[in-house]
Amino acid sequence: MLIYILKRLLLSIPLIFGVLTLTFFIIRLAPGDPAAFFIQPGISPNVAEQIRAQYGLNDSLPVQYFKWLSNVLQGDFGRSFSRAQQPVFDVIAGALPITMTIAALTLVANFTFGIIIGIISAVRQNSFIDRFLTVTALFFYSMPEFWFALMMIIVFALKLQWFPASGLNEIGAESFGPLGFMLDRMWHLVLPVTVLSINGAAGIARYVRGSMLEVIRQDYIRTARAKGLPENIVIFHHALRNALLPVITLMGSSLPFIFSGALFIEVIFAFPGMGRVTVEAIFARDYPLIIANTFISGTLIVLGNLLADVLYAVADPRIRL
Amino acid sequence: MKTDRKGFKLLFLFMMTMLVMSACGRGPAGSAGSGGAKDSTLVITMLGDADYLNPVIGSSVTSSNISGLIYPGLLQSEFDSTTGLLNFMALKKTFRPPTGSRKPDGALAKTWTMASDHKSITYILRSDAFWDDGKPIVSGDFKFTYRLYGNPLIASPRQQYLAELVGADKGVVDFDRAIETPNDTTLVFRFYKPVPEHLALFHTSLTPLPAHLWKVVKPEDFRSSPHNQKPVGAGPYKLKTWAQQQELVLASNRQSNLPKPGNIPFINWRIVPDYTVRLAQLQTNAADIVENIKPEDFSSLLKANPGIEIRSVGLRVYDYVGWSNIDQTIYHKSGKILPHPLFGSPDIRRALTLAIDRESIIDGYLKQYGTLCNTDISPSLKWAYNASISSYAFDQSAAAAIFRKEGWLPGPDGILQKNGRKFSFVLYTNAGNARRNYASVIIQQNLKAIGIDCRLDVQESNVFFENLQNRKLDAWMAGWSIGLEIDPLDVWGSDLKKSTFNFTGYRNPRIDELCELAKERLVQTDARPYWLEYQEIIHRDQPVTFLYWIRETQGFSKRIHDEEVNISGTFYNIDDWTLRPSATIAP
Repeated sequence: MLIYILKRLLLSIPLIFGVLTLTFFIIRLAPGDPAAFFIQPGISPNVAEQIRAQYGLNDSLPVQYFKWLSNVLQGDFGRSFSRAQQPVFDVIAGALPITMTIAALTLVANFTFGIIIGIISAVRQNSFIDRFLTVTALFFYSMPEFWFALMMIIVFALKLQWFPASGLNEIGAESFGPLGFMLDRMWHLVLPVTVLSINGAAGIARYVRGSMLEVIRQDYIRTARAKGLPENIVIFHHALRNALLPVITLMGSSLPFIFSGALFIEVIFAFPGMGRVTVEAIFARDYPLIIANTFISGTLIVLGNLLADVLYAVADPRIRL
Repeated sequence: MKTDRKGFKLLFLFMMTMLVMSACGRGPAGSAGSGGAKDSTLVITMLGDADYLNPVIGSSVTSSNISGLIYPGLLQSEFDSTTGLLNFMALKKTFRPPTGSRKPDGALAKTWTMASDHKSITYILRSDAFWDDGKPIVSGDFKFTYRLYGNPLIASPRQQYLAELVGADKGVVDFDRAIETPNDTTLVFRFYKPVPEHLALFHTSLTPLPAHLWKVVKPEDFRSSPHNQKPVGAGPYKLKTWAQQQELVLASNRQSNLPKPGNIPFINWRIVPDYTVRLAQLQTNAADIVENIKPEDFSSLLKANPGIEIRSVGLRVYDYVGWSNIDQTIYHKSGKILPHPLFGSPDIRRALTLAIDRESIIDGYLKQYGTLCNTDISPSLKWAYNASISSYAFDQSAAAAIFRKEGWLPGPDGILQKNGRKFSFVLYTNAGNARRNYASVIIQQNLKAIGIDCRLDVQESNVFFENLQNRKLDAWMAGWSIGLEIDPLDVWGSDLKKSTFNFTGYRNPRIDELCELAKERLVQTDARPYWLEYQEIIHRDQPVTFLYWIRETQGFSKRIHDEEVNISGTFYNIDDWTLRPSATIAP
C-alpha cells in the first residue's frame, strides 16, 4: 500500500504543475488589469505603469512564466497584489483557520446527522417517518444556501435576536476571558454552521439511505438475522459498515471543501475565510494569490481522492491497493 | 458496536456544544444592547478592508479614513457648504474666514506665507508636536515623505500633487531645490510656475511620515514593510488591533495634542461584505454607521429601529449614459477622427436626452436623494455652478422631431432608419449595480417609444472598464465621482491620447481653452465666468446624457452626537463625536 501511495503522490506532482501552468496563462489571458484600480482621473497615469513594473507585468508572457517557475521551484509563490503585498501564504494562513473551524464543525454535523437520518429512513423504509425525513431532507437540500442563510439571519438575528447576524466575535470579546471568548465565538458560529450542515446532511442522508437499502437486502444480512442476532447489531455492525463505503468517497471529496471555504456563507456572515480570499483575488486580478489558491485546492483534491482510495482499502478488505 | 457508540458519542458531543452555545448566547447579546464595551466603542461597518495604513500608498477609501485619524496634517481643511469652496487652516492663519465649527488645533503649521510671485510657499511649523514614539515632528519629515511620494519605485497614487514642484516640468522633481528645510520648523516649497494659493495649499499639505523610522526602509521594500501594519502617527487615534478582512480597532490616542485625544475611546471598523447583513447590523444596533444605504430600504429600516437616522452628504456622484461621439472603428484603424454614425451629431445626442425620462428614474429609485444632472459641475460647488441652465425636460415629440430633421425616419419595423442603417445599438453597463439596472430598463423603454432599438448588456466590471478605456463601446451607462477641485480636462480634453478618460471622444477646442484659462487664475473664484461658459457648452453639446446626481445616504445610530456630515466625507469630524450614553474618556 505504501508503494501505491508513493506512486500516486509522485504522479500528482506533474498533474499539479500542469494545473498551475494552465492557471498562470488563463488568468493572464482574461481581460482586466491588476493595476486598473490606479487608472482614474486625479491619479497620474504613471502610477499604473509603475505598479505594473513593480509586479513584473511588463515582461513578455514567456519571461513572466519562467521567472514565476523559478520562484515557485524555490517555494516562493510571491506577494499578493491586492492585499498590501503580503506573501500569499500569509494571506492564506490568515484565512485558513477560520475556514477550517467552520468546515470541521460542518463536516461533523453533516455526517452525523446525515448518517443517522439515512439509517432511520432505510430501516423504516416507506413508513411515515421515512417519508417525512425524505421530504424534509429534499426541501432543505434544494434550498439555495445564500437564501437560507439570509432567512436564518432574518428569523434568528433580526426578529428573535438570539444569535448575532455576522462576525466572529462580539465587540470587546477579549475581556470575556478565554472561556467566554471561545463561547462567544461558538455562539457566532451557530447560524453559519447550521446553514451549511442542514444543506449537506440532507444530501448525505439520501446517499446513506440508498446504500443502506441495498445492503439490507443482501444475503449475509438475512443470515445474521437468521442467526438470531439482535436487530441493532445487524444494522450497525453488519449493514452500516458496508453501507458506508460510498460515504467514504464523499468524505474524501469533502477535504478540499474544508480548505476552500464556503463563499456565500463567508460573505453573508462576514467571515474572512478562504472562499472570500479566492473570489476577491479573482476580481482584483491578483495573479499570485489566485495561483497559490489553485495550488492549495489542486493539491487537496488530489490528496482527498488518494485518501478516499486508501480508506476504501481500510474499510473493505476485498479492495487491495 | 464500535461504530454505533462512536457515532452516538460524536452526536452527543455535538449536541452538547450546540446547547452550550445557545445557552451562552444570552450573555454577550445582553452586553451588545446596553453597557459594557459597546458604550465606549463606535462600530462602523465597511464593505472592504484598509490596504496600507500609510498615507503615501494607501489607496482604499477605508485606508484614507483611518490614516486621517492616525497621522497629523500640515493644515486642517474645511468645506464651506455655502460656497462649495475648500478652506485651509493653520494654527494662526486661515485661507478664508472660517464658516463651520472646525478648529485648526490639529494643524502642524502655525502659519504660511505665499511668495508674491506665487512661485513658493513657506510654512512655519509648531514646535510642540511629537510622533507617538516621542520624537518631534520636524520639517525634515515632510521633505523625506515628499521624496517618497515622488519615487516611481513606490508608485504613490498621490504623485500628481507634486506636479507643480521645481523640476516636475522636466519630468523629475528636483527635491533639493523644490523643498527646503532651513531649520526644523521652517518648510519651503518651490514651484516651477506661479501657482494659485488654494492649489499650493492643497498640493503641499500631503501627510508626513516619521522619517526616523522609515529612512531605513528601502524603496523596493516600502510596500511590504511591517510599518504599514503598525503605523506610528500623532493624530487623535492610534491603531489598537487589526485582524485583516475582519476588523480594525482604533483607540483614542491619549498623548495626542493634534488636536486632542479622540472623544470616543474606541472606533471599531468591521468588514461586512454583504449589504443585507450590514443593514441587519444597523437595525439590531450591532453597528452604528452603515454607508450607502439604498433608498428602497429607508422606510423599513426606520420603522424597525427608531434609533436610526439617515444622513445625506453633498452631491458628488452622478450617473450618465455615454454616447461615443466619434467612429471608434475608424479611429482605431487609422487614427482618423470622424463623427459616430449614430451619436456623432450634438443634435441627436440632445434628442436622446430629451427622449429619456430622467425624472421618472429619480422618482422611482432615488426619490428625494437624487436630483437632475445638467453637467459635471456639481450644484454643491456653488461658486462655480451655473444655476441659469434649464434642464432638458422629458419631451419625446421634440426628440422625434429632431430625429426627423436629421433624416432618421421609421422603417417598416418601426425602427428609425437613415441610408439603410437602423438606429440600433447595445447599451452596456457593469454588473452588480441595482440603480443602473433600474435606470437602463427605463431608458430602453423610453427609446423604444420613439423607434430606437436599444439592447441591454451587463458586463463584469473589469471587462467593462477595460472596454471603456480602450474606447470599444458605442453606448454605455456609468458614473463619475467628482473631486472638490474642478479639473475636467481628463474627461473632455480634445487630445484623445492624453485625455485617457475621454471615453466618448468628445472634442471642442473652446472647452480645452476654458479649462486652461480657469486653471491660470490665481484667485480661484475669478475662474467663475469660465466655468459658467463651460457648463453652457457642455449642456448644449451633450457629449453624454447626464442623468442624475446622487445624494449618498448613510445610516447613523442616534447615539452618535456632535457629528457634522458634509461633502468632504462621512467621517469629517469624527474625533469630535460623542456617544450617548457613553463612557467617554476624561480630557
